[in-house]
Amino acid sequence: MFSSSCISTIISSRFRPEASAILLAVIVILHLCFSILLLEPVKQIKMVVLAASIVGKSGKVLVSRQYVDMSRIRIEGLLAAFPKLVGMGKQHTYIETENVRYVYQPIEVLFLLLVTTKQSNILEDLDTLRMLSKLVPEYSMSLDEEGINRAAFELIFAFDEVISLGHKESVTVAQVKQYCEMESHEEKLHKLVMQSKINDTKDVMKRKANEIDKSKIEKTRGDKGGLSSMSSLSSGFNDMSISHGRGSSFGSGSMLGMMSDVEPISTKAKDRSRSSVTAPPKSSGMKLGKSGKNQLMESLKAEGEHIIEDVKPTCQTRAAVAPPTDPFTLTVEEKLNVALRRDGGISSFDMQGTLSLQILNQDDGFVQVQIETGGNPEILFKTHPNINRELFNSESILGLKRPDQPFPTGQGGDGVGLLRWRMQRADESMVPLTINCWPSVSGNETYVSIEYEASSMFDLTNVIISVPLPALRDAPMVKQCDGDWRYDSRSSVLEWSILLIDNSNRSGSMEFVVPPVDSSVFFPISVQFAATSTYSGLKVTGMIPLRGGGGATPRFVQRTQLIAQDYQVV
Amino acid sequence: MDKSSTLLVHYDKGTPAVAKEIKEALEGNDVEAKVDAMKKAVMLLLNGETIPQLFITIIRYVLPSEDHTIQKLLLLYLELIEKTDSKGKVLPEMILICQNLRNNLMHPNEYIRGVTLRFLCRLKETEIVEPLTPSVLQNLEHRHPFVRRNAILAVMSIYKLPNGEQLFVDAPEMIEKALSTEQDPSAKRNAFLMLFTCAEERAVNYLLSNVDKVSDWNESLQMVVLELIRSVCKTKPAEKGKYIKIIISLLSATSSAVIYECAGTLVSLSSAPTAIRAAANTYCQLLLSQSDNNVKLILLDRLSELKSSHRDIMVELIIDVLRVLSSPNLDIRRKTLDIALDLITHHNINEVVQMLKKEVVKTQSGELEKNGEYRQMLIQAIHACAVKFPEVASTVVHLLMDFLGDSNVASALDVISFVREIIETNPKLRVSIITRLLDTFYQIRAGKVCPCALWIIGEYCLSLSEVENGISTIKQCLGELPFYSVSEESEPTETSKKIQPTSSAMVSSRKPVILADGTYATQSAASETTFSTPTVVQGALTSGNLRALLLTGDFFLGAVVACTLTKLVLRLEEVQSSKTEVNKTVTQALLIMVSMLQLGQSPASPHPIDNDSYERIVLCIKLLCHRNDEMKKIWLESCRQSFVKMISEKQLREMDELKAKTQTTHAQPDDLIDFFHLKSRKGMSQLELEDQVQDDLKRATGEFTKDENDANKLNRILQLTGFSDPVYAEAYVTVHHYDIALEVTVINRTKETLQNLCLELATMGDLKLVERPQNYSLAPAKSMQIKANIKVSSTETGVIFGNIVYETSNVMERNVVVLNDIHIDIMDYISPAVCSDVAFRTMWAEFEWENKVAVNTKIENEREFLDHIIKSTNMKCLTGPSELEGECGFLAANLYAKSVFGEDALVNVSIEKQTDGALSGYIRIRSKTQGIALSLGDKITLKQKGSS
Repeated sequence: MFSSSCISTIISSRFRPEASAILLAVIVILHLCFSILLLEPVKQIKMVVLAASIVGKSGKVLVSRQYVDMSRIRIEGLLAAFPKLVGMGKQHTYIETENVRYVYQPIEVLFLLLVTTKQSNILEDLDTLRMLSKLVPEYSMSLDEEGINRAAFELIFAFDEVISLGHKESVTVAQVKQYCEMESHEEKLHKLVMQSKINDTKDVMKRKANEIDKSKIEKTRGDKGGLSSMSSLSSGFNDMSISHGRGSSFGSGSMLGMMSDVEPISTKAKDRSRSSVTAPPKSSGMKLGKSGKNQLMESLKAEGEHIIEDVKPTCQTRAAVAPPTDPFTLTVEEKLNVALRRDGGISSFDMQGTLSLQILNQDDGFVQVQIETGGNPEILFKTHPNINRELFNSESILGLKRPDQPFPTGQGGDGVGLLRWRMQRADESMVPLTINCWPSVSGNETYVSIEYEASSMFDLTNVIISVPLPALRDAPMVKQCDGDWRYDSRSSVLEWSILLIDNSNRSGSMEFVVPPVDSSVFFPISVQFAATSTYSGLKVTGMIPLRGGGGATPRFVQRTQLIAQDYQVV
Repeated sequence: MDKSSTLLVHYDKGTPAVAKEIKEALEGNDVEAKVDAMKKAVMLLLNGETIPQLFITIIRYVLPSEDHTIQKLLLLYLELIEKTDSKGKVLPEMILICQNLRNNLMHPNEYIRGVTLRFLCRLKETEIVEPLTPSVLQNLEHRHPFVRRNAILAVMSIYKLPNGEQLFVDAPEMIEKALSTEQDPSAKRNAFLMLFTCAEERAVNYLLSNVDKVSDWNESLQMVVLELIRSVCKTKPAEKGKYIKIIISLLSATSSAVIYECAGTLVSLSSAPTAIRAAANTYCQLLLSQSDNNVKLILLDRLSELKSSHRDIMVELIIDVLRVLSSPNLDIRRKTLDIALDLITHHNINEVVQMLKKEVVKTQSGELEKNGEYRQMLIQAIHACAVKFPEVASTVVHLLMDFLGDSNVASALDVISFVREIIETNPKLRVSIITRLLDTFYQIRAGKVCPCALWIIGEYCLSLSEVENGISTIKQCLGELPFYSVSEESEPTETSKKIQPTSSAMVSSRKPVILADGTYATQSAASETTFSTPTVVQGALTSGNLRALLLTGDFFLGAVVACTLTKLVLRLEEVQSSKTEVNKTVTQALLIMVSMLQLGQSPASPHPIDNDSYERIVLCIKLLCHRNDEMKKIWLESCRQSFVKMISEKQLREMDELKAKTQTTHAQPDDLIDFFHLKSRKGMSQLELEDQVQDDLKRATGEFTKDENDANKLNRILQLTGFSDPVYAEAYVTVHHYDIALEVTVINRTKETLQNLCLELATMGDLKLVERPQNYSLAPAKSMQIKANIKVSSTETGVIFGNIVYETSNVMERNVVVLNDIHIDIMDYISPAVCSDVAFRTMWAEFEWENKVAVNTKIENEREFLDHIIKSTNMKCLTGPSELEGECGFLAANLYAKSVFGEDALVNVSIEKQTDGALSGYIRIRSKTQGIALSLGDKITLKQKGSS
């Protein structure tokens, strides 16, 4: 570049400026050209099949599949030249021309041939050819031009299975057939799951429709307010809500409960295994619409029904979970059940924690676990009956009462619960997230401003604050919002989601406008979140092998999480 | 570079598919109909009919389909469809397919995922691939190996795209990780391949860290390893040492394909004698272990390559190579012998000859059908050995002479000509050969072998006893005189009766043939019997072979007998002191000759004696009656001298060939010099060989075009329209192997914009247009280039007609400018070639199409005319220069050429100088197909006139 700039300056001093500019451009282009020339050429692999074809005796090309880039005229030329080169009465079946090698095999009135480079490995090519010649009768009814024409595309698909990018694949005829049939066990399962989901949803829909009908009848019967009709509705829903293990008695809340119930399972699954391998990612949910016959699902979705299609039956998930690779997995999990009062203060607080151990190999069962607690006096630890309690109390080591017995092992399930703890009393400063909701009516509109305040103890992720709204057809007008919001018209819930709450946004607010309504409509607000730090601060500091351990601490994996199981502002 | 094509399917034009029908079927719900319609759409697309409105239909109705076959066909459709506009930008509607592809990549069905990934391998448009990359990466960890396999390949293809590195910055890393945990052999291979092509160092690292396991790896992976080694060594020759060990360990692999590849790699990496020896040994072992003929032939090719570059090493292996002769295939045997013959040295000649002899003996016992031909090949090989190393001649000649009576005429003929040459060049063997020949003469059954044997007897019987012996042998073989008596008429030997019908059949089917000297003759019956069907007398031995042959009407043999007798008598005169003995012999000889003439004129003979033979016999009679010294000198000395001359000329020619061969292997002036004290160059890698490999693929895919100089290019410009036409056009025609590229420059010479300008082409002959013409608009005084490709499928003169059609804004109707015809010259397709005389004549007899062109030229010299024809037809003259020498007023020559499509073109030129100095005669062209015969004839007619 230095030399060129020199030249250009010299030139520019002599010529008119625009000429020099052009010259400079030319030089730059030249440089570019050189640098392109100097680029290393893309490596060409030698052993390749250029094309696999079937031609008639007269040279009519019936089917040909090319595996390298070549122009159409070229391949047609090569194939047209072939029949003329085939001599009669030869005992070998290859022809070399100046540029290519044909390896062929006559099949009745046709030729099956491979076009290869001359340096190609003949032994491999012959293998490939043999494979293809076995496939042709499998897919073609009759071995004449007509038969091949009819099966042309099937043959191309089969050829593709044998040769990939010009390289031979080591496959058998049976495998190729299997590949071409595309019968997938997983797909069938997927469809089954899908079907059962649809049925479930249908059931729910039916019930709900009944409820609505009932409520309508009630409405027409008596002159009751909106609220009482709501409560009667909720009583109708009670059985369902209970089945979800939820104390909520609100209609829309129960709907919400259903989905929030499902989600933790899927997140759990994700945590435990390399989810990308097993659970089909969410976008496959789009696939449903393609089934065509599932018009119902389609319409359900269009109406705003939240449908999660990628959840598999737990047994299935377990079977499909890729085996964990670490010998020990320790899971610390704390679940929060909190009810906050809407005017401040805690109505109820309950935290339940567990420590579970999962051991992969039978032989590794003889271990003890060294833990360390955060020393919170509010927390009471309870060990599993089989755990040596004295050892735990004195040295914070979890070991079995009978050291000659191993811990239960295996991949299935969540492992063995070793320790449980609870915390039931807490003041307001201990709550990870407080919510303030201020509905104010002005004119014929209600302004609602909500703000949250997070305690500095935790960094919360995936925070979703769900605010029930009066039944509206259109989404409320959101004036201001930190984070994202979404309105689910079906269940009349406004979801305010904040991906991460950390020191940068310990507090945030949202404001929206709805038609005038009673302020109690906006409660209970339910919140979901997760965090990686816990109340107990329990940590596993090491594993102590009891047998044959040469002093080395075995490798283990520790997972810690705090989940809001039922977190509401009532 | 043209657009690459990925598949071809035969499309029957008889049942045209209507776009509307396809559309309806696609919109319907019937899966079967949809599949059918999809197939039709793909075929239409292949046929060049891009129905654009179909694309949207497919997006709307086919994309959501659940059927697997439809999805696969859809992928084929997407593969074929034009995805970019004329400027190379991706069409906006292509984004629509992205979502579908992504869904497919996440499909629960692993096969759908697999085929979609495979489709991505063929995708070239970065813009379409880009949004799909995350999904591709997820598939790398799919449970099913089928998906992983294809995912790796897809990653590789995408990484190789321009800017692909940016799409997948850490692709090599990921693939490396995948490789370390991968268990599926095919996926493993693909992963290694990916590393090899995209991140060579990683591949090398992986290889080096797994050196011990290489020999346990899967065959296909081992192949890639070898490939990698070759590539690495090419760029970094210094690191070669690391890999040699791997190669050696792979030489003992279980798969023969790997072993073969190993040997090839070894040769390309090193020229150290040990390496070459190992490779050659491997090839030899494969030769014996593989039963497939193709493999054997190609292995022999490899060996002959080795032979030319490392002859000294191959010499050691000659016996191993010769073991292949046990294969029954003639092509293999021929190739083997060819290789072996080049490797013969003083040290191994005895061994080789012994082996060949053993093989010859084997052919006698076995009753295989091709034995005769094989024996002939062996005899030729032994012949060649004997010529190279005259000392072995003595050991083989007697063995070979056992085959004089062989029923295979060709091999007997080879033997006798071998004997003839040896007896001249090897004077020491003369006596023993003559004795042997006289002993075995009676066994010779073939009418073509006898004259030659007789000639040898006539020439080389020198001593008294030999001469006497010779005369008596001939007499014995002729049997009792006369050949024919009235009494015998009733039973004129069974043989003649047997022959009768066949020879008459021959006469009826008589057709012109080319004689060995290139003359073109309507054969006489006599020569027919000696020529086309080798007459082998199977009759009783008692009657004598000569007699039997004569009775079938072979009077040419009669003439030879007469000449031989004359020669022997003349020699007898010299060596025999007793006059009475001489005279007695003379009378006996005369009696024989006279009875032969009598036979020829009698009705007992199948046909009367031909004039030539008659005259020669009469000449012999005259000579014997009036013997003089001058005649004696001519008969006894000049005859031999001309033979000696012929032999020496042949040797000279061989020497010349050898010289020409050795000249090429001489060191180049700029070659490196090896110093004994310094490190030897041996063992350095041969980079040239590797480059050859690189070119191989390019050549095969037709990417390889030689640089032609521009001056040459300008010569081939054809003006298509006149200068005053509104559109001026000229074409530059390039003829590649199988296609013709027309580059047409079109210039708008009007002041208006020409719209919908279209170059319409039509062809005659075996030409086919590849693409449909497109419409352009051309601004005033602007020019543009239009390219058209035309496919050629056989050698034939073709004509391309064309029009340029356009519209202008003010005139609504279309204007047409007719173009000059473009003639495609056959000469571009044929190239000079060589074939043996025998092959030429068999082809001449076989081929159906003959074109006879009368000579009509102003050239007065025969040679000059021949040279002109050779030059203008681009053929090779098979007739040797020595045979064309001399001024005798006539000339006959054979020309031969081969087309790129492998067709043969045969030409025979027979001309005679008339008394007025003009040349007359015919040029005959024969070929298997009509096209060549016709167009070559046209060409010759044209050139004859053009030269005047």
